[in-house]
Amino acid sequence: MSLMLEVRGIDVFYGEFQALFDLSLEVRTGETVIVVGPNGAGKTTLLRCISGLQPASKGSITFLDQPIHRLPPHRIVELGLVHVPEGGRVFPNLSVMENLKIGSYVRGARKEFRKKLEEIYELFPRLAERRTQLADTLSGGERQMLAIARSLMSKPKLIMLDEPSSGLAPMIVTLLFEFVARIRSQGYSILMVEQNVRKALSLSDRAYLVESGRIALQGTREEFSRESYIRKAYLGL
Amino acid sequence: MEIVFLNALANGILLGGVLALLAFGLNLIFGVVKVIHMAYGQCVMLGMYVIYTLKVIYGVPLLVASAVSVVIMGVWGTLLHLLVIRPLLGAERLNQLLALAGLIVVFENLAHVIWGADLRGVRVDLPIVSLGNVFLKTSNLLAFGGALVVLGILYGVLHKTYVGLAIRAVAQDRECATLMGINPGRIYLLTLTIGGALTGLIAAFFSPIYSVHPHFGGSFTLMAFIIVVLGGMGNLAGGFIGAFIIGVVTSLAAVITSTEVAEIVALTIFILVVLVRPQGLLGARRAR
Amino acid sequence: MKAVAKIILLGLVIGFPLVGVSPYLLHVATLIFIWAFIATGWSYMGRFGLVSLGHGAFIGIGAYTAGLLFNHFSLSPWAGMIVGGILAGVMALIIGWACFRFGVMGDYFALLTLALGEIVSLVLVAFRDYTGGSLGFTLKRVGSSWFYLQFEDKAYFYYIALSFLLAALFLWRCIDRSRMQKALRAIGEDEIAAATLGVRIVKYKLRVTIMSAFVAAIGGVLYAQYVTYLNPHTLAGVGPSLDIAFKAILGGMYSLWGPTVGTTIIVVLEEYIRVNYGAKYVGISQIAYGVALVLLIIFMPKGIFGTMEEKIRRVLSGRSRSRDPGQKH
Repeated sequence: MSLMLEVRGIDVFYGEFQALFDLSLEVRTGETVIVVGPNGAGKTTLLRCISGLQPASKGSITFLDQPIHRLPPHRIVELGLVHVPEGGRVFPNLSVMENLKIGSYVRGARKEFRKKLEEIYELFPRLAERRTQLADTLSGGERQMLAIARSLMSKPKLIMLDEPSSGLAPMIVTLLFEFVARIRSQGYSILMVEQNVRKALSLSDRAYLVESGRIALQGTREEFSRESYIRKAYLGL
Repeated sequence: MEIVFLNALANGILLGGVLALLAFGLNLIFGVVKVIHMAYGQCVMLGMYVIYTLKVIYGVPLLVASAVSVVIMGVWGTLLHLLVIRPLLGAERLNQLLALAGLIVVFENLAHVIWGADLRGVRVDLPIVSLGNVFLKTSNLLAFGGALVVLGILYGVLHKTYVGLAIRAVAQDRECATLMGINPGRIYLLTLTIGGALTGLIAAFFSPIYSVHPHFGGSFTLMAFIIVVLGGMGNLAGGFIGAFIIGVVTSLAAVITSTEVAEIVALTIFILVVLVRPQGLLGARRAR
Repeated sequence: MKAVAKIILLGLVIGFPLVGVSPYLLHVATLIFIWAFIATGWSYMGRFGLVSLGHGAFIGIGAYTAGLLFNHFSLSPWAGMIVGGILAGVMALIIGWACFRFGVMGDYFALLTLALGEIVSLVLVAFRDYTGGSLGFTLKRVGSSWFYLQFEDKAYFYYIALSFLLAALFLWRCIDRSRMQKALRAIGEDEIAAATLGVRIVKYKLRVTIMSAFVAAIGGVLYAQYVTYLNPHTLAGVGPSLDIAFKAILGGMYSLWGPTVGTTIIVVLEEYIRVNYGAKYVGISQIAYGVALVLLIIFMPKGIFGTMEEKIRRVLSGRSRSRDPGQKH
C-alpha cells in the first residue's frame, strides 16, 4: 500500500502555547486510521493543521507525494483531501441540497454533481427527504450526516473526520458508524479522530494515541486493543 | 389632498426600488466581507459624475455612458478591495469603519476638485405617465423596473450558480467554505467588484432623476444604512423590504412636512432600531 | 529632562504672540487650539472604545445655544457656554443612557452617533426662521469685551483658546489618575467580566460621555465667538463630526498629546494649501489627509503620535522580541 498522507515532525503553536510537538503520522491508501486521546490533547489541532487551517511552524506534510503544509485550505481540498470539522458544521441558511451542491464546488466534481447527488440520496435517505429544508432545521445527527455526505460530493481521496459521533444520541452513533463502515468499504481512505474508542477501533486498520500534543502510542488495530493501558483507560476493561 | 398622498406613495415605492438595489449592494458586502462600506453612496455619486462627464462633455449617448459607468465602478470596487479593504481585514471593526469613513472625505473632495461644487445634471426629456390622478415620471418608472430586473438577476445568480452559492457559503461560514475548496480571497474580490458595478448601475438609474453634487452621496449613504439596519445587516430580503418602507415613509413625510423633517424621521427610525432591535426586522439575533 | 523641555516649550507657546508675529499665524494657532481642545475632549470617549462619529451634535448645540442667546438676549457667551454645555450634556445623558443600557457598542454606537449628529444639523436647518437655515447667521458685533467674549486683537483669543486646551489636557490627566480610568480600561478589555466584578458600567460610560459632550459644546461656543459666524454644516452634521474624529485619530486618540498633534498637522496642511494654491485646492488637502488617514489606519492604528510614543517606549525599555509563526490566509 502506498503512502497517501505523511505528516512529519510538525510543531503547532497558538501564540505562545505549543499544541503539537514533533508529531508524525501516516495514512496509506485505502486505510482507515483513527486518532484517539483525551480532550485537549491536540487531535483537532492535528486535523486543522493537515487541512491548512492552522500553520505548522516546523515539519512537513505530504499528500500524494505533494507537500501541502504551505498551501491554503482550498488548494488542499482540490487535491482530494477533505476535512469534516467537528460539530456537524453545515451552512445553516443553505438547503440540504445546496449544502451538497457546494460540496461539489471543486473543479472536476461539478460535472458529476447530479450523479453523485443521487448516490448520496440513496445512501442517506433521510437527507433526500429533507432536501429542500434549510440545514439549520435539521437535528444534530442529520447535520452530521449532511456534513459527511457533503464531503463525499467532492470525490475525495482522503476523508478526515473530527469526532463525528460527538454530541449524538447512541442510536444515531450506531447509524453513523455504519455509514463510516460503508464509506470505508467503498475504498475511501479515512483519518478519523474519535472519542468513542471502542467503536472507532473496530472500524480501523491502524490507530494513534495522542496525549499532550505527542504521539504516545501507535500500532495496528490488534496491537492497540491488546495494550493494557488502552484497555484500561479507553475501553474500560 | 389625497392626490398628493397618492403621488407621494407611488413615488416612494418607485424610489424604494432603487434603494433596494443600494441596500442589496451594502448587504452583500457586509454579509460576505463583514465590512460596513461607509462610502457606498459616494461611489454612486462618482458613478453619476462619470456618466455626466461622458454624456455632457464628450457627447456619449446615455445608454453607453451608463454601461461604461457600470464597468468603471466595478473596477473601482476591485481597486477599493485591493487597496483598502483587504489590508484591513484583520483590523478591528472600528478601524475598518473609520478607514471607510475616511474614504467619504476622499471621494467627496475628489469630486469637488475635479468637477467643482455646482450641480451637474444630465438633462433627459422623458414623458410623464399618468395613471388616473397619479403622475409618474418615466425616469422613475424605468429606474424602478430596472432595479427589479437587476435584483431578479442577482437573486438568480446567488441561488442557481456555483459562484453565487460560494458567495452565500462564505457569508455564512468562511472557514467551512474554504474546506469546500472555495478561495475566500477571490470571493471577496468578486463581491466588492459586483458591489462596485451596482453603484455604477444605480448611478445610471439616478442620472435622469437627480443632479449630482459632491455631497450627493451623503444623504444616500445614510439612507442606505438606515435601510440596511432596519432590514437586518447582511440580510438581503430584509434590505428589500426595508428599502420600500423607508422609501414610502420618507416620501410621505417629505410631502406632509419638508425634506429635512423626512430625513429626521428616517434617522430617528434608525436610532430606535439600533436601540431596540439592532438585528433589524429580519436579522438573526446576535450577541452584541 | 522632560520637565525642562516642557517648560521651554510652554514658554515659547506663551511668548509666541508677544514677539510680534503676524495676525495670520495667530489665527492659525488659535484655530489649532480650539479644534485641539474639542478633539481632546472627543478622545475622552474615544480612547475607551466609545468612538463617536456625531460630536457635531454637541458642538452645534453648544454654539447655537450660546449664539442665539447672545444675539437675542445679549447673554454673555461665558454663561452661554454653561447653558450650551448643560444642554449638550443632557443630550449626551439621554442618548448615552439609552445606548449603554441597551448595550449598543462599537460600530453600532458609532453609526448611531453619526445619525444623531446629522439630526441636529437637519433640525438646525429646519428651524431656518430662527437659525438662518443652511446659510447660518452672524453674531452681532460688540467691539472688544471680555464679558461678551469678542476682541479686535487676535492675541486675546489665542490665550483664551490656549487656556482651554491646557484645561482639557489637565482634565485628561485627572481622568487618567481616577478610578474612572481603571474602570473604563476594564470595561474596554472585557465588559462582561467587569460587570460581574461590580463595575458600574453605565455610570462610568455616561460620565465620560457627558464630559466629552460638555467640552465639545464649549469648543463650539469658542469657535463661534471667534469667527462670529455660525453655520450648521461647519458646526454640526457629518462633516465636522468626522473631522474631529479624524483629527484625534491621526495624532493618536490614546495619548494625551495625540489629538493636539493630529489637529496641528491637519490645520497646518489645510492652511498651507489654501494660502499657496487658493481655496479651490483646499479640496486637495482634504483628499491628501483622507488618504493619509486611511493609510494610517492600515499601517499605524495607534495614530502618528501614539505609534511613535510606543516605539520610543519600547526602545527605552530595551525590549525587542518577535516570534511570529507565519500566518497563511
